[in-house]
Amino acid sequence: MKLYAYCLTEGIDELTDDLAGVAGATVRLLKLEGFSLLVSDFADEIVPLTRDNALNHAAVVRSLLDRTTPLPFRFATLVTESELRSYLATRRDALQAKLELVRGCVEMSVKIIWDREWTEKPVRAAIVEEKPGTAFLSEKRREILGSETRAAEAKKIASWLEDRVRETVREARINTNPTDKLMLAVAHLVERGSVGEYQARLKAARSERPELHFLVSGPWAPYSFANIDLEYTSRFGVS
Amino acid sequence: MSSPFDQIIINETGEQIEETDLSLLETLDHVLNRGLVIAGEITISVADIDLIFLGLNVLLSSVETANEVLRRREAETK
Repeated sequence: MKLYAYCLTEGIDELTDDLAGVAGATVRLLKLEGFSLLVSDFADEIVPLTRDNALNHAAVVRSLLDRTTPLPFRFATLVTESELRSYLATRRDALQAKLELVRGCVEMSVKIIWDREWTEKPVRAAIVEEKPGTAFLSEKRREILGSETRAAEAKKIASWLEDRVRETVREARINTNPTDKLMLAVAHLVERGSVGEYQARLKAARSERPELHFLVSGPWAPYSFANIDLEYTSRFGVS
Repeated sequence: MSSPFDQIIINETGEQIEETDLSLLETLDHVLNRGLVIAGEITISVADIDLIFLGLNVLLSSVETANEVLRRREAETK
């Protein structure tokens, strides 16, 4: 029997609610190495990525957000208690530093989506009459120019956004062009007491640039600020 | 759980994306792509999620993740 790990925090001695976790299992509090963890028992080796499981994982993490700021584990983290104990003991300093960083904060998410016109503009503007022999190279050149133009525009927008919210943000994770359709994905770590001002600043920024399409969500637990190292591999099975 | 969204967006075909779908997409983006990782493997099987991604031509990095899963699935079944 393995443990499914949801999140890690400090200073929580009991759960106030009965929580249903992944696969409907009951969530319990585990105190290890000075940390408080939310876990549930999990009998299988593979976690099905279903709507319910994903939402339950997030709901369990979110359940602590009113009382503290937990560090979430990634979906489908399965460990034995001894593995978990070893992880906590060897990463104690890094984990405590992360808890210190996020203490009193929540994560706010901002995504800006490329407008279709923006996506096509660099190509349309460059179209000229060409001989067949040069078409291939010209097309490649247009792709490169389009990509460079998009990258430059994404950086400009990222800088503009950070200027607008900087005073309310403790830390930011900025990812420009994470996918073809996304110009920008930003996670802001915001102190709870500043969330209202942050949202007001963001609203003002959005009204400044009505041509940009925003997806704004939050507050979240600080998923984007929880990584302490990258030594992992992921593998997707198919059910 | 209250909704974390304060804005609803439309997709490329002009349809409004339902808030519940957005909520799931953003949740997936967070729980799949971020968070503490304990060294080792994370093994996930995809069950009912892909239908949502196929139905919405949107936007988030988790969509790319799901599409990669689907591409692998198609390759394996050929």
